[in-house]
Amino acid sequence: MTVPLISIILLCPLAAFAIFGLLSLAKRRIPRQDYISTGAMLIALICSLLLLQQVAPKPEIHTAEWISVGKVNFSMGFYLDSVTVIMLIVVTLVSSLVHIFSMGYMSGDARYSRFFAYLSLFSFSMLFLVVSDNLLGIYIGWELVGLCSYLLIGFWFEKDSAANACKKAFLTTRVGDIGMFIGMMMLFYRFGTLGLHGDSGIFELAPKLPPGEMAWLSVAGVLIFCGAVGKSAQVPLHTWLPDAMEGPTPVSALIHAATMVAAGVYLTARMFPILTETSSLVIAYIGGITAIVAATIAIVRFDIKRVLAYSTVSQLGYMMLGIGAGSYVAGLFHLTTHAFFKALLFLGSGSVIHAFHAMHGHHDDEDAHHDSVHELDKHGTHEHVGDNLVHEHGSEIPPDQDMRNMGGLRHKMPITFATMLIATLSISGVPFLFSGFWSKDAILGGVLDRAMAWNSAHYYILFGLALLAAGITAFYMFRLIFMTFFGAPRNQQMHEMAHESPKVMTIPLIVLAILSFPVVNVLWFNADYVIVPPQSHISQPAHAHLDSEATPENASKRTDIASALFWGSEARAAEGEGDDSTHAAEEHHSPAHRIAMVLSICVAGLGILLSWLFYHKHRFAAESVTNRFRPLYNLFWHKYYFDEFYDGVLVALTVWKARLFAQFDLSVVDGIVNGVGLVTREFLAAFAGAFDNRVVDGIVNRVAQVTWAVGGRIRRIQTGEIQTYLLVVLAGIVVLVLLFRAL
Amino acid sequence: MTLQHYLVISALLFTLGIFAVLTRRNAISILMGIELILNSCNLNFAAFSRFATPLENIDGQIISIFGIVLAAAEAAVFLAIILAIYREFGSIRPNEIDTLKG
Repeated sequence: MTVPLISIILLCPLAAFAIFGLLSLAKRRIPRQDYISTGAMLIALICSLLLLQQVAPKPEIHTAEWISVGKVNFSMGFYLDSVTVIMLIVVTLVSSLVHIFSMGYMSGDARYSRFFAYLSLFSFSMLFLVVSDNLLGIYIGWELVGLCSYLLIGFWFEKDSAANACKKAFLTTRVGDIGMFIGMMMLFYRFGTLGLHGDSGIFELAPKLPPGEMAWLSVAGVLIFCGAVGKSAQVPLHTWLPDAMEGPTPVSALIHAATMVAAGVYLTARMFPILTETSSLVIAYIGGITAIVAATIAIVRFDIKRVLAYSTVSQLGYMMLGIGAGSYVAGLFHLTTHAFFKALLFLGSGSVIHAFHAMHGHHDDEDAHHDSVHELDKHGTHEHVGDNLVHEHGSEIPPDQDMRNMGGLRHKMPITFATMLIATLSISGVPFLFSGFWSKDAILGGVLDRAMAWNSAHYYILFGLALLAAGITAFYMFRLIFMTFFGAPRNQQMHEMAHESPKVMTIPLIVLAILSFPVVNVLWFNADYVIVPPQSHISQPAHAHLDSEATPENASKRTDIASALFWGSEARAAEGEGDDSTHAAEEHHSPAHRIAMVLSICVAGLGILLSWLFYHKHRFAAESVTNRFRPLYNLFWHKYYFDEFYDGVLVALTVWKARLFAQFDLSVVDGIVNGVGLVTREFLAAFAGAFDNRVVDGIVNRVAQVTWAVGGRIRRIQTGEIQTYLLVVLAGIVVLVLLFRAL
Repeated sequence: MTLQHYLVISALLFTLGIFAVLTRRNAISILMGIELILNSCNLNFAAFSRFATPLENIDGQIISIFGIVLAAAEAAVFLAIILAIYREFGSIRPNEIDTLKG
């Protein structure tokens, strides 16, 4: 029953895209592509929910041979366990809601149908990536989602900034993908397969490697993680994600917050069994650094979508950190909770932006060209609202996304305000009521747990970074809320026009708001496998003085058990009370989680308090603090100079190299070519011409003459007299007879 | 009378035939030469059949009967060709008919 369901889930969005594609080729316009795409997604969602009931405790693998060359086989198949199903539900649910939201947000766009077709293609690719049981399938889905991301970021390609952003996103992620590909090839070279599961799968073979090859496996693991660094926008390849906000806001919500960027986390979690201690540490560090770097950049942004983009980068870093610290489940858990509340935040910001657009719509209601005006406003020329233009690296913030133009919107847009507030409380880690708290705490607890179990300074540092990032997250998220929804309107003209979005946009917001409460946690409690995470056979305990049971396997296992228990009473119920060792584990490891929980509540409260004082009460002026820490502020404002570094070093180096080569081409290569040409024309050609005329022609003529002369003689043989011929024949026979006699 | 006598006669006939074919200046004479050659062959068949195989085997003699029949048919075709040649060239002397001369 599972295979047909998965097939339906995959085929529905693909069919929705295919319908659009085929009709476009046939030059026929489809009137309601939005209904087709949304319907397909809803069917997929229903199938995913049905699949949740079908999923067995034991992972199911359905695989078939795909390409067979010599001894090498590539198979294609589905791998179905609780994680797959949860990911399927998250992707289809968020995708469905974004589809519905887009019906309102994108209405009136010139390429309305195409937008939905791209969304369908994306959903298919993402679902394919999720259910694939082998690295090749994952890689195919991986590149497909990259392509869709490119198409959708550049959806309004008339805007230069969008066209540049989509190229940047594509090329930057490509850097990571090359690493991933090399990593895959390393695994393939060693194991002769790209299949992950089963008897001859990589996960089965990897632990049997001799200890000497562990360094090699670490390199392969880190290289595969490179793909995740690119796709999930981790430092140092994170620069594309904020720019990707040039795409339509529903795209930001679906691709660049909830699903595609989370694919990197999913991949890393899937590869967990082959992550060695070293590669885990690399992942944890990248994740931790990303979390803190992106969070600090987010503090000083004024573009509402950029704040959310950096927040996404930061949260993805969190998930990576969780996986790197062995809390595989915690990372994935945060992935799901984050998918909902961050999609909600993006859609909410889209609702705000839409409110400002619609104001121009109101203005020009009588205008016959209503749609085209609307269009224009959405895509660019904002001259008539240009009083507050701010230049940020040469790229101006569109005024409808600039938080300095907002304020006091909570009365105008109550639903948007309420739902975004819930999401903000969730991402800030406000205790107990909100899903984000539980998942973030699971990660923090997991990191501290490993730090204590291994007594490792690295993980203590990472825990500190993560805690700091948690506080900063609370701070900048409430800064966003206060600047957007509270206080007095900063731009009266824009404020007067703003209004609540239509129902088709607010209903997805409300659904996502409900999902930001810990209801999604239930998904994880139902899953049997939460209790049994994949065993990392490879990790070696680094420190000899560990007690016998604190091997990494046990540690990670217990971490997750403890996390699962920590998340709520349902987990305990689902798990069954009987298991003594579990309780022992809980007792043993609760301290780490308890400490982490208390600390995270403290930093979240501190962040919210500071934000309230700064941006609501105006007890302190942000400017004075800014001035005092001018260098630090500049560092954050310039995003740690990553873009400047890439422009100044990598791009400049490339351009310089290109110039050098161009010069070389112009002088040396062209010189040689011209010289050769000159010599050829003046000397060789004359010589060759003379040779042709004299020698070649001479030979040809002479041959003809000889042939002519010989022919003239030889034709005399043909007397035409029959008796002569007969005589010759007779003579020939006589000669032959004599010859044979002689023999 | 032994096989040799027949073979000698046959060889004489053959040589005479060849000589006639090569030297006669008249197509009819050439035809006669060809007939001599054919008959020398028939004589050989009959002689070998009589002396070189068991007596009850008369295949060679039957072949020589066929040869005579064929010679008659051949003479008819040949005479028809000669008639056609005479109409075309006004002559049946082979050395005068040399249109294919190189």
